[in-house]
Amino acid sequence: MTFYEKKLRELRGTIYANQAQIDTIIRARNYLREHYGEPLNLDQLAQVHLVSKYHLLRLFKRYHGVTPRQFLIDVRIEKAKENLLAGKTVTDTCFAVGFESPGSFSSLFKRKTGKTPGQYQKEQLSRSNPSLDL
Amino acid sequence: MRVTIISIPVRDQEKALQFYTKKLGFLKKVDMPLGGGNRWLTLVSKDAQSGPEILLEPAPLHFEPAKVFQDALMDAGMPWTQFDVDDLDQEYDRLVKLGVEFSIPPREMGTVRYAVFNDTCGNNIQLVEHL
Repeated sequence: MTFYEKKLRELRGTIYANQAQIDTIIRARNYLREHYGEPLNLDQLAQVHLVSKYHLLRLFKRYHGVTPRQFLIDVRIEKAKENLLAGKTVTDTCFAVGFESPGSFSSLFKRKTGKTPGQYQKEQLSRSNPSLDL
Repeated sequence: MRVTIISIPVRDQEKALQFYTKKLGFLKKVDMPLGGGNRWLTLVSKDAQSGPEILLEPAPLHFEPAKVFQDALMDAGMPWTQFDVDDLDQEYDRLVKLGVEFSIPPREMGTVRYAVFNDTCGNNIQLVEHL
């Protein structure tokens, strides 16, 4: 066994010893991945997974390193990019990925990617349909 | 500041280019001569072609400590870096069929599954699937 494998086994025995917690937290993350388009909140996420919301928040952060909210925002931004690339309008994209206001969606998108959804769409689409003859 | 380059030291840039494109499936993005047979050689993921680039750099050939460090990591079985995949078993089967050697086959570790293979250019590389 290599040094690396030995270290991983040690880690597995210490930080990943509680399989029930791990199963819960994997299910919670997959739930967010699948239901990102719906209005979601921590109460509901906790209810679905039969744990208290503060316990869920603590476990999620411990095993995934980010809060459920941060994780959900990242999923939504990635899905928004896909929708924009597929040619959807900014407003349709906003609602399709679970955000409720196009204005706050646009500013969040800009904060996360450096561009507004409109700029992002224009840039990406012109890149895939080059109009320059070079 | 933005993250654009992830550097991987390789013993032979051409061999690495073949391995990383033909077997792993990355695309060549930038290939620029730097003199002395060295190249500024970068790759991107097929589905993120404007995303971060892997730089295949010939450091171990020109800077002894880079070689020593790379050898030590290899001996310890430690990955130089890691890539995410959607389906680890599928990727593992695909790579094994292409003759890629794994030092650790797919295994579970908490919220992820991982495997480690030899890139034939001096490094262990880890693949990770988030469960």
